[in-house]
Amino acid sequence: MNKRSSVRMLVAALGMATAIGASTRPAAACGDVWVPYMDNGIDYRPQGVSRAEQGFDDGKIYASAASVLRMMPHVRALKPASATIVARAQRMLALAVARSNGALPVEGQVPWWVQGRWLGGTEADRAANLEWAVTTLRGIADTKAKDPASMTDLGEALARVDAHKAEARSVLEALAKKDLLATPEAYAALAELRGESGDASGKKLALARCQSMSNGAAVCRDATAHTG
Amino acid sequence: MTSRALSLILLALGLLSVGCSTERDEARPSSSAAPFASAAPATLAPGAAERAPGDVERGRALALRFECNRCHEGTGLAAPETAKACVGCHQEIIAGTFKAPKSALARWRPNLLGVEFAPSLAATGKRLRRDWIEAYLLAPRDLRPGLVSTMPRLALSRAEARDLAAYLVRDAGRAEPASLEGADLGRGRELLETKACGACHTFSGVEALPIAPSPEAGRGSAGIALAPDLRFARERFEPARLVAWLLDPPAVKPGTPMPKLGFTKDEARDLAAYILETPLAPLAQTQLPARLPLLDRPVRFAEVQERVLGKICQHCHGNPDVALGDGGPGNTGGFGFRPRRLELTSHRAVSAGLLDDHGERRSVFEKTADGTPLLVAALLARRAEEAGKFDPAVRGMPLGLPPLPAEDIQLVESWVAQGRPR
Repeated sequence: MNKRSSVRMLVAALGMATAIGASTRPAAACGDVWVPYMDNGIDYRPQGVSRAEQGFDDGKIYASAASVLRMMPHVRALKPASATIVARAQRMLALAVARSNGALPVEGQVPWWVQGRWLGGTEADRAANLEWAVTTLRGIADTKAKDPASMTDLGEALARVDAHKAEARSVLEALAKKDLLATPEAYAALAELRGESGDASGKKLALARCQSMSNGAAVCRDATAHTG
Repeated sequence: MTSRALSLILLALGLLSVGCSTERDEARPSSSAAPFASAAPATLAPGAAERAPGDVERGRALALRFECNRCHEGTGLAAPETAKACVGCHQEIIAGTFKAPKSALARWRPNLLGVEFAPSLAATGKRLRRDWIEAYLLAPRDLRPGLVSTMPRLALSRAEARDLAAYLVRDAGRAEPASLEGADLGRGRELLETKACGACHTFSGVEALPIAPSPEAGRGSAGIALAPDLRFARERFEPARLVAWLLDPPAVKPGTPMPKLGFTKDEARDLAAYILETPLAPLAQTQLPARLPLLDRPVRFAEVQERVLGKICQHCHGNPDVALGDGGPGNTGGFGFRPRRLELTSHRAVSAGLLDDHGERRSVFEKTADGTPLLVAALLARRAEEAGKFDPAVRGMPLGLPPLPAEDIQLVESWVAQGRPR
């Protein structure tokens, strides 16, 4: 390779990097600090997060997670208490991470430089992702005075990590006892935990609640498969 | 976006609040079984109010706490910030001057028609009886047929209602004595007809007036929307006050939509006598509509949200994360209500319940004594309130608005019965 072609390749590489960067509006974040970012006087991210939440509620959890990553590439480093929009975005991402067992299937949806270890290519990445999800949801629950909705999310994520399963059971059982488990996914997680501890009738009850809450969606069939 | 959302949280009209009474025997009852309501309504024993006039200063503190100024003008309190001015915000949205995208205004506007007015409390003491105000605060009812919203049932004790009433009539002064003795009721009736009072006022219980306000006319017209049914005037007015009011309403209450009609003193006496003394047919007993059977078709949350929660409930049970931390009076508190932390904006939020009087979380699907889920019981309680039956344990919802149609309650109840599917 001569000197001229090397320069051409360098220019091409820089051009590609610029193009990729330009295609995804970089969010304003500095370290763990959330910085309002205006484009012609408007910060579009609140609208983006709202749309992502709507998609999340409609079951498009990985598309929503990808949307969060595109809007907030540095989301992993942000503290949930720094802004409610951060907490809302991180909640979606953390639950998506938990539901994908630490391996977000977003490869085609976010630029390579944002993917980092979110794809969970190695066991260590997946474990780190799940631990991040637990830590994040715990932080959100703390900012929400441990309200049932945020504790439901935390319980579901805890249930995905062996080291936290005892805590998960405790959290989820306490909420279920008062009919305050806020999602069918959490009932599915509870069913799985009960099944693992040999509580077949309890598992059946939790699955029944999951099914009635989710209208028989796949989330409950997954739990059945996991626990046999 | 945030101020918009915040503004929309404010649908409940009227208000007056909790306070600092030291009369423990009359303090609001505690609440183990009262997740929504924390004060029992009461009616006054005859003469009780005259014996205990209430404390104006405590009443002013209550007016602040209950944020009366968010719906009413003329409270003697500073005007609220724009984002908390319920009625002003509604009027701006209806007029299209509120700073929001046109599509949002178009979406909100239909829900706000009929809730764009609230009576000014200016010169209340120059018009209304203190004992009536006290009783009304405890058990508000629909006085104004042209107005969709009504005074909400607030969380206040009898002692607090007394103090608040004392504050509201602080400017009463002395009325020039006026006797209705010898007044001509027939002439009064004639004046009522010739002056076309029926163009704004209903007078239930008497022979129908030749002109009647159209059901839709109250929309957009403060005069028609705020005109009370005249049958209640005998509870609300002393004769001398009514005569003075009829002679020159704007002199008594500047800015009132009630016009000066040029009555002579004798005419005002005759008219007042007819309004206050003519025999009334009993009010038609409000029949509670039948509770409809559960639907046998699937009901999903999206439908419940579309027809009920998203249209009405989430104004007061909003998401504080998208409204500068103000989730509305039914969530983060307001209008004298403590924070119940009940959010009705999503399936997950509804499922997370509310804080009871002890600060413990309870499910809104928890069964009440008769087996009705709490959420449904609150909707049914509003229908009972309209019929004059106030449940001390459950505050009717939607607060300060007409009860939901039986079909909407049926929808919510069916959804709960089906396991509240997402």
